[in-house]
Amino acid sequence: MVAAPVDQVRTLYRTLLVYAAVSILILVAGLVEFAYFEPPGQHTGLKANITGVFQFDPANNTTTGPDRNSFPRTMLFAAVVDWSSVPENIVVDARWYDAFGNVVGSVGPATPDKLASQTIIPVRVPPGFQHNLPGHYIFVVERYEGGVPVEVIGRRVVLVER
Amino acid sequence: MVLSPRAANPRQRRPPRYAIAIGIAVALILVLVASSILNYVYLDTVAGRTSLYGLLAVALTALGTFIGVRGFDRDPEQRRKDFIRAGVLLGLAALLWLLLIDVFIFTGAAGPSVAVICALACLPTTAFGLWVVRRIDRNEKEPWRLVLVAAAWGAVVATSLVIWAESLWQLIAIRTLVPGPGLDVSTAFSAGILEELAKGSAVVLLFLVMRNEFDDVVDGIVYGAAVGLGFNFMESISYMTNLYAIFQPEGVGGYAAGFQWYARQVLGLFFGHATYTAFVGAGIGIARQLPDVRRKLIAIAAGFLVAIAAHFSWDAWLTLFPIEKSALGILEIHLRTLIMTGPFTAAVLALLFLGLHIESQALGDQFRKEVARGSGAITPEEVSILMSPWQRFQRRMRALGRGGLRAYFRLARLQTAQIDLAMERWHRERQEVDTPLEAEEQLRRQVLALRQKPAA
Repeated sequence: MVAAPVDQVRTLYRTLLVYAAVSILILVAGLVEFAYFEPPGQHTGLKANITGVFQFDPANNTTTGPDRNSFPRTMLFAAVVDWSSVPENIVVDARWYDAFGNVVGSVGPATPDKLASQTIIPVRVPPGFQHNLPGHYIFVVERYEGGVPVEVIGRRVVLVER
Repeated sequence: MVLSPRAANPRQRRPPRYAIAIGIAVALILVLVASSILNYVYLDTVAGRTSLYGLLAVALTALGTFIGVRGFDRDPEQRRKDFIRAGVLLGLAALLWLLLIDVFIFTGAAGPSVAVICALACLPTTAFGLWVVRRIDRNEKEPWRLVLVAAAWGAVVATSLVIWAESLWQLIAIRTLVPGPGLDVSTAFSAGILEELAKGSAVVLLFLVMRNEFDDVVDGIVYGAAVGLGFNFMESISYMTNLYAIFQPEGVGGYAAGFQWYARQVLGLFFGHATYTAFVGAGIGIARQLPDVRRKLIAIAAGFLVAIAAHFSWDAWLTLFPIEKSALGILEIHLRTLIMTGPFTAAVLALLFLGLHIESQALGDQFRKEVARGSGAITPEEVSILMSPWQRFQRRMRALGRGGLRAYFRLARLQTAQIDLAMERWHRERQEVDTPLEAEEQLRRQVLALRQKPAA
């Protein structure tokens, strides 16, 4: 009795299935990571009052002018948060992210009463640069749980023009 | 065995896969239209004019491709007309797309001269990539026209498909998710899923419409990588011009664009989109040779899955390998690419080499069977020559020395026809062809005719 020849295309097919199995593990790892940093069921309905985003004067640590959604790249700016709008028993922070996802300004994490003296959160110019890099900047006030930010309770998107 | 009269003419009836191809093409156009409308209504990141020009370019590309591909099945006179029409439409589409990219998106920020310089910088590297990818199919090289069509689809259509979808995904994500690793993972899923679906759809369409040129896993990898290289070309220009515009006011625009060029057109030329989409092609190529529909669908889905996972892992976990701002950083950039994408490139190369081995064995077997048939299409002495690309090349060079370019090309055509005949025999033996036996006879007659042609 002679055994039928092995179809080598089957070997290719099985190799691809092994790759696919590894790929499923990779994608599942991605989902687990997503669920860890974006855990479901964390929506509390809390809202932090972001007073606005204003031109920033670093010499006096004050803001000037009207609330704006866009700034020229040569202009410094900062967000102003009314920490009294947030319950005292939670841990929060506030952060600025530039268009590349880098943190370019932050306060906290701490309870709102400890942040009461830090209502102005400016954007820092990256080290080695003279001005802000253009693009969309995101300002968020985040609620912490177990040492990890789990919910955004205030958000502003600002454009730094080219 | 009696052949039915209908089966004697392969062009009487259009294969059902054409209907699937048309269905996919229509679905892609509808997705584009829908995302464009959504973009126009809800987003303000791309001007309305841009959507208009982009959609027009996509429609012209789709129509041009359809007419061009249809031309392959027509008589020579009609084929010539179809090719001219397709060429004009694809040219117009490319022009409109370049207009869209350069005038409305990039030149406003970086200027037209920077956009042109970036495009010119990416052309030789992408051309080199396509040349290498085509060369790796050592037994039966794919026609340049189809390799270039694949690259053009990757560059023009796939990028058009993802612009709107990714913009929408990103807009929703940054307004709903916590910035940081969670948002990064979301963006990586967006890039992996949307970009691989957009690029992979081109490979699926090529497979459905041009199955005669799509023999096995090797061809799938070639077409997949070509689509990836086309996509990488356009994406490189996009990143180079965009980062130039961002960093030029700080006096480092040239460095930023140059770094992008090196990262995407040298380091990432094969370790990136070419690798990812090659997996889609590999899945389709393997499906081409599987006997039942269930396994075919699993193979295609597996190819997409691997491509998405490979792409996702790079985008999601890039930050796990931070690069120092020192001389060591140069080494780290290379190591990062090698560690993160290297295993995937090695995996696709393993499929490629196994595919080439299977193909070579099968062709050798078919050459010998054709010799035994005694038709004269392949002689016993030619078997070892046809099995070795190097020996084939040596024979062609010898012909060049004896009879000039004409003799060289005549022998090249003869060798190609002989390999086509063996390939057709292989597919028939495996019951993978829907063309009747007449097609094989036609190839045999073609070989004999080429053999009888005078050398000069």
